[in-house]
Amino acid sequence: MLNRNAEALFWIGRYIERAENHARLIDVHYHIQQEEDFQEEGHKWSRLIDTLGVRNEYLRQFESFSEQDVLSFITLDLGNTNSLFSCVHQARNNLRTLRQHLPSELWDIVNGFNLWLGEQSVADIMRGPHQFYQQVKERAAMFLGAEQSVMLRGNEWHFIESGRFLERAENTTRILQTVTVSCKSKDINSIYTQLQAVLKSVSGYQSFRRYYADDMSPECILEFLIVNPLFPRSIRFSFHKLEEHLAKLELDTTEKGSGHEKVIRQAGKIKAELDYMEKDEMSGDLALDVLESLMISCQRLGRTMDGAFFRREGVSV
Amino acid sequence: MSKLDPLPGLSPYPLQHFYDEMYADERNVRPHYKHVNRMFSGMSPEELQEKQKLMQRRMMEEGITFTLYNPAQDQPMERTIPFDMIPRIIPKGEWERLEAGIVQRITALNLFIHDIYHEQYIVKDGIVPRRMIISNCYFRPEMSGLRVPGGAYITTSGIDLIRHHDGEYYVLEDNLRTPSGFSYLFKGRSLMNQLFPELSFASSIRDVDHSLNRFLSVLRSLSPSRTKDPVIALLTPGEYNSAYYEHAFLAQQMGIHLVEGRDLVAQDHKIYLKMMNGLRRVDVLYRRLDDDFIDPLAFQPSSLLGVAGLMNAYRAGNIAIANAPGTGVADDKAMYVYVPDMIRYYLNEEPILGNVPTYLLSRPQERQYVLDHLSEMVVKETSLSGGYGMLIGSEATKEELIDFRLKILAEPERYIAQPIMSLSRAPVLSEGSMAPRHIDLRAFVLMGADRKPHVIPGGLTRVAMREGSLVVNSSQGGGVKDTWVMA
Repeated sequence: MLNRNAEALFWIGRYIERAENHARLIDVHYHIQQEEDFQEEGHKWSRLIDTLGVRNEYLRQFESFSEQDVLSFITLDLGNTNSLFSCVHQARNNLRTLRQHLPSELWDIVNGFNLWLGEQSVADIMRGPHQFYQQVKERAAMFLGAEQSVMLRGNEWHFIESGRFLERAENTTRILQTVTVSCKSKDINSIYTQLQAVLKSVSGYQSFRRYYADDMSPECILEFLIVNPLFPRSIRFSFHKLEEHLAKLELDTTEKGSGHEKVIRQAGKIKAELDYMEKDEMSGDLALDVLESLMISCQRLGRTMDGAFFRREGVSV
Repeated sequence: MSKLDPLPGLSPYPLQHFYDEMYADERNVRPHYKHVNRMFSGMSPEELQEKQKLMQRRMMEEGITFTLYNPAQDQPMERTIPFDMIPRIIPKGEWERLEAGIVQRITALNLFIHDIYHEQYIVKDGIVPRRMIISNCYFRPEMSGLRVPGGAYITTSGIDLIRHHDGEYYVLEDNLRTPSGFSYLFKGRSLMNQLFPELSFASSIRDVDHSLNRFLSVLRSLSPSRTKDPVIALLTPGEYNSAYYEHAFLAQQMGIHLVEGRDLVAQDHKIYLKMMNGLRRVDVLYRRLDDDFIDPLAFQPSSLLGVAGLMNAYRAGNIAIANAPGTGVADDKAMYVYVPDMIRYYLNEEPILGNVPTYLLSRPQERQYVLDHLSEMVVKETSLSGGYGMLIGSEATKEELIDFRLKILAEPERYIAQPIMSLSRAPVLSEGSMAPRHIDLRAFVLMGADRKPHVIPGGLTRVAMREGSLVVNSSQGGGVKDTWVMA
């Protein structure tokens, strides 16, 4: 496999995961109501933009927040590199350079996904937002399913999965950061709705209930989403998986000091920190620090991978 | 339900003075088209439209697309090529003659290129003027005196042929650099087999799949190393290139590496692939880039697409490049005029296939004649292809004619002119019924180190999809047909 192919695979994993996360977030935030939503025109839509962290990009194109502009920008706009369609489009273009390495079912699914999004209009989405985002989730699930059931467990597979879990860890961290920051300035009722929305967006509401019943305190939710060992969208779970896939990559050089070994060590370190985290680290400003340091770790790991696998120069013959 | 053609055999459109591939005259279908004609005539317009839609949909789903860049749009458009379902059929005897003519032509052209980069006998003997070589922008002095593997320069080529109203085939141009269209040929056939299994079962058509095996062994034969399993890579400009699908398709089918310039590195006059497990030496590079871009050290210094040091590795005999750099010297539209003479000179044979009469506008007499008859001429820029920079006199406006006249007078050596040939027509399906369209034929030739040209049976029939139009290039909205050679 070429270095460039490995990078393309890693990003396929990230893009598909990102598209799915976008769909989950938009769907949930679309359906929750906050008091301010009724007081201020456009509040609901600017909230959606903030959840995805794209306020600056949005304001470069638009002056005010309307349902149509916001949905179009975050869902269908190919000019916005972070829109849902852009993610799928990128994944599809990456897959296009790899068709000889992957089962053809994966191409059919991602290309079909891309074609389908190309046929959608904002009007279609507004007619039934929930159905639309549901379908996005289903198509992402189809990709995951086909990948699970037909792909050889070789380097190709481990690169896609590494991308997926790094993206998932980073995404969960980002959402929790946004919520934790905004919770500081709000009354308990609106915090409750927000946290509930986060749980719902990661489909974790039911699982959460099994652990904590009705104890909807911010600490519990943070604990659940950061360190729960069994919930597949928690940050700890993601890092366990990430380390596992990185360790299974078969390269010719795994001696000490190699980029590959460095990546495994970094992922393992974060994993260990999460394994030994205490509940009292989940409250107040401490939680903000934890999330901040997790975000930095995710980004640093991404850069280390870049240097270790994708941009190696002068490799030995 | 209304049938397409209530009286099978009667042509559904007037034939006018054109050669029609399916109809001998208005009452008779040519014998080799009988079966196909019967089948399409027996289908309802609704059924045909349904199949056509299915075909285009399948092409989108499989990603059989090319990319069109339009400055007016920020996103490049990915399009499927219009694929017409009525095959173009070439009878056995006719094909054998075409094949012989193409083999003869490519053999002579390959000898010519070798000669030009060595002794230049043909220039010394006064057949081809020296300035035609020196002033040719595709001439590569770097290739002079260089021995290429097996002496095969033109590994892949595409010869464009048309059929005039006299029923004869004429060569329109020779594409000797990196012709494209292979994927449409192979993919078109397999789509047809999926859509009309009954058709291909009932007719005995020459197989094309075998030519893909041949393609691979041709590339292998060029390998300078003695390993049994040489490493072969297809060098593509990348996913934004309009022919990217074809590059991916060929790499996949032949099981060779699909690489971009940044995946390659030169060390000690050898070229390596940057693999996850270290570097791997490349023996044969099938490049789908023009000469100018393959090596920034030797040619265009600003090119980011190629690999620095490739030409040095090539000169050192450590890698084969297909096609060899510098083959463009023979596919220039002005050099085309001399091909019949090359055949006589190198092979001592009369050309089997004729050229379209061509006027060199650098010759004063011919220039005057062309300027006097501009509205009956096709004028082409010698170094451009793909239907760009072309004037079709009969379709041009007054302003365009004046504009071209000035261009010709300013730089006569940049242009050639040909009388407007009446390209033959074949029926296409248009809204469920048959309508005539002009077509040509691109025949593909493969040549390995044994220098024996292999012509892929059939080739690619290109269709001018607009009624009456003569422009068949896909970049200008042309379509394609599956092309059958009867066994």
